[in-house]
Amino acid sequence: MKDPYEVLGVAENADDAEIKKAYRELARKYHPDNYQNNPLADLAEEKMKEINAAYEEINKRRANGQSGQSAYYDTRRPSSAGSAYYGGGTLQQIRRAIQAGSLTEAEALLNQYPERNAEWYFLRGVIRYQRGWMDDAKQDYQRACQMDPTNTEYRQALHYMEHGPAKTYSPYGSFGTDLCLTNLCANACLNPWAWCVCPVFCC
Amino acid sequence: MFGYVRPPLDGLPDDERDRFRRAYCGLCHTLSKRGAAAQWVLNYDFTLLAILLSDSEPATETRRCAVHPLRPRPCFASTDAMELAADESIILAYWQLRDHVDDNGPVKRQPFRAASGILRDAYRQAAAARPDFDRHTQAQLEILRGLERDNCPSLDAPADAFAVLLRDAARDVQPLTRRRVLEQILYHLGRWVYLIDAADDLRKDAVSGNYNPVALRYALSDGVWTDAARREFTLTLDHSIRGMTTAFELWDFGAWTPLLERIFYAGLFQVGRSVLDGTFHRRGAHVPQDTNDDESEAD
Repeated sequence: MKDPYEVLGVAENADDAEIKKAYRELARKYHPDNYQNNPLADLAEEKMKEINAAYEEINKRRANGQSGQSAYYDTRRPSSAGSAYYGGGTLQQIRRAIQAGSLTEAEALLNQYPERNAEWYFLRGVIRYQRGWMDDAKQDYQRACQMDPTNTEYRQALHYMEHGPAKTYSPYGSFGTDLCLTNLCANACLNPWAWCVCPVFCC
Repeated sequence: MFGYVRPPLDGLPDDERDRFRRAYCGLCHTLSKRGAAAQWVLNYDFTLLAILLSDSEPATETRRCAVHPLRPRPCFASTDAMELAADESIILAYWQLRDHVDDNGPVKRQPFRAASGILRDAYRQAAAARPDFDRHTQAQLEILRGLERDNCPSLDAPADAFAVLLRDAARDVQPLTRRRVLEQILYHLGRWVYLIDAADDLRKDAVSGNYNPVALRYALSDGVWTDAARREFTLTLDHSIRGMTTAFELWDFGAWTPLLERIFYAGLFQVGRSVLDGTFHRRGAHVPQDTNDDESEAD
């Protein structure tokens, strides 16, 4: 195991508050929210595990064998196209292929699927997003939401495209070409529809 | 299409600015190995490519050059990564010039024809050293030309053709994790560069009638933004910057970290804002000044 102090980027004689601050900063950076459907989400998950393990180890050492603090960030990726299996055999296969990172296979299966339903557009959006086709992905999510407005997963995906993660990490505090847009999240909180889509994202 | 990477050097400590300048000068000297003409392709975009491909800070050596003939300057020594970046820069610049020759009429194409002729010898050397990259660059630009001919209304299809081309610059990087990180950064950098270039050319293309994916995607008239289109476009640009920053955080770039952080989290936003509000001006490559520089630009 790597030196836990090195992992958190703190000195061994740092006080508890400094360690907690360093841990929180790193957890904010590698939080699964920031890597939703990201092709590098597996690497972020590994980082998060390493940070959690380092924090736990430091707490254990300092507590002289007592159990460490338990308020760790969840390393699991948020539910994505790979984790909800429904909608028939082929669509299920497509989700599995996406989760395994086999985008070419997922795309081939999708093209063979006869029905162009909401799920089909959503999955095509996920594939496009992972390929970096952000604008086309957003249009697919919009189409999926229009065809099935009650589906929370589709609406979450569209909400992410329109607002990004709840708190995008930036060492400078702000993130965005048009900083006025960063206020959109606050506006969305006042919008009951956006609130019911995913209050966690906004607030 | 290049010239949109502007590291916000003013906000960096002196030693970070000097490190960037040494990389810039180091790339210039490495380019000169393919002939003096190759140095004309030097810009910040290609310096960023050289930095990304360098897995550690190269050794510093001191050299004189045509721009600084009086006082020798510290610059990074040529490394395999620097040579790879130099060759890829020459290949990309050459094919971009050839693209302009094909795109323009008999009069307007002449400067591009002349420039590509001057660069041809350097290109031949670079292409012989990197045949796969050269072949792939030509194939991607052919895809891009086809999409432009067809007036493709998607932002992502033509941007992807260019982004894949830039991503390919990291195809031989090891280990796998570093390659995955660099490929993601370069893909989204390529996508961002293509889109910001299209946004910058909006009015010019409206006058000339040239293909512009931004105008087609948002049905803009006379190259004028609508508020809704500008907002949508900004969001898609930011998703690509997010693609770069989330990848950047997954690899230790060592001494380059403060500079890269400044470029990805601040520089790209600044350029995006200035392109969208019409205050961006292309300018020629210039040498970033030494922090204790007492030699004038003219020497």
